[in-house]
Amino acid sequence: MPDQSHVGRRYQAAGQVVDGAAAEAFERAIGGSDDPYSPGAVPPTYGAFYCLFPTLYQLFGDAEVGVNLAGLVHGEQSFEWPTPVRAGDVLDATAVIASVEEKRGMTFLSIEHEARRQDGETVCRGRSLMIIR
Amino acid sequence: MSDTGAATLGPVAVGDEMTPLARTVTQAQIDAYAEASGDHNPIHVDPEFARSVGLPGTIAHGLLDMGILTEAVARWAGGYERVASIACRFSKPLLPGETITCTGRVVEIDHPRGIATLELEAVSSSGERVLTNGRASVRLPR
Repeated sequence: MPDQSHVGRRYQAAGQVVDGAAAEAFERAIGGSDDPYSPGAVPPTYGAFYCLFPTLYQLFGDAEVGVNLAGLVHGEQSFEWPTPVRAGDVLDATAVIASVEEKRGMTFLSIEHEARRQDGETVCRGRSLMIIR
Repeated sequence: MSDTGAATLGPVAVGDEMTPLARTVTQAQIDAYAEASGDHNPIHVDPEFARSVGLPGTIAHGLLDMGILTEAVARWAGGYERVASIACRFSKPLLPGETITCTGRVVEIDHPRGIATLELEAVSSSGERVLTNGRASVRLPR
């Protein structure tokens, strides 16, 4: 199980391409919209795909941290887009374990995420709170 | 890719209500989200497994619920790229077949920065507060 010794552990996933077709599939899954085509704009929370998942799945697979996936609940999420993300952007995603707390017999794992364009511009920041029973 | 197609946002004042958005979420949508995200946790796609861990059946992914909440904000604000930030707590699960209704209210406007802050909430058709502590900031038209 995650503990204090894992705070600061970092995961990286370079070269995440913001894929317009995949963003459309995501948009359909959230109920989509029949509204006019706007080239390059992606649904904001498609950010989960380029900013959260690539590094989260590394963390979940990190045997030294040992997250119990069967007891995992996504508690809170935040996203911030200092600059809009466009289809075709190529992003380097990083995640760092920000804190691990034990409360009421559960483990609260807080993860900070960032996605940067290859010109160095940060286009997305995220914070995930995972609760492990 | 389709944009939200929302009209350009007019003048905004503290206390303004966001146009509510209601969406019924089907198991087919949950399956599509699992496929798109690679999150194949059986609590979302396998009713028998979900019941074995004490749930009434499968539940939607929290990020799917949050995607709908974010779409509500984007529609009101005039497009995806106007959404500068969003945050929420996943308080209660949304079950397939239920309708999620997203509401919001402007609580602060930062004129120099051109940013409006909204408080948000999403409630299910069975009366559960699915998403709480919701907050978003939007870039206002100049």
